[in-house]
Amino acid sequence: MAQTTTTVIQEARARDTVGSFSQMPDGAAATVPSEESAEAALAYLAEMSPDLRGAAVLGPEGEVLAATGEEPARWGEDAAVLFAAADAAEGVPVEQVHIATEQGEVFAIRNEGLAAVSVTERFALASLLLFDMRSMLRELAGATPNFGGSEPPKSRNGED
Amino acid sequence: MPPKPHRILLDRVSAYADEAAAYMRRRRVSRRPFARLYYPGGRSADHAQDSSSGAELFVAAGRLIEVAGKKERG
Repeated sequence: MAQTTTTVIQEARARDTVGSFSQMPDGAAATVPSEESAEAALAYLAEMSPDLRGAAVLGPEGEVLAATGEEPARWGEDAAVLFAAADAAEGVPVEQVHIATEQGEVFAIRNEGLAAVSVTERFALASLLLFDMRSMLRELAGATPNFGGSEPPKSRNGED
Repeated sequence: MPPKPHRILLDRVSAYADEAAAYMRRRRVSRRPFARLYYPGGRSADHAQDSSSGAELFVAAGRLIEVAGKKERG
């Protein structure tokens, strides 16, 4: 991958980061989902996508609602830089980003006022992953997200 | 003697599988890095790695790949 000085990143951040998440193409989310819902959504995405290395779910202001790994703040910063660079490419807010490098692939999507970023192995099935990410955000933005979590076991003999 | 019907079916399935495997091999060898942006309405645009916008996208992607780390092999 071509090396670019870090000043490019800093300039992009300074220039475009502020408000980059408010440029959601389809409006803002009605309510910000809870962190528990976002974590459940990420777990669901990881289960659906065997190629996934890591991912994060971001709120309307770019705040990290859930992220894999031990550096959630970095996910937020780097996703902001990515969306800022993508929006600046043509001066229009993007809906989806797909960048394929030799080290892995990056997918980012905005939907329902939320955003999600994923990193996968090379040659991941892009349309499938983007579909799953979009579904995840749509579900999260809904009033009662349901990510297939197990329900409390019901008593077989009618007792609680 | 004509081949048994199930043999014809197996041969055909094997041929399709071989062709798919060859396609995937060629795809892995020939595929180059790219940055593709999708806009509302379904329009998409590619940005070359050596363009200024493409360079920023690849740098940002590289940082995210770094954060994600390697996949843990179960």
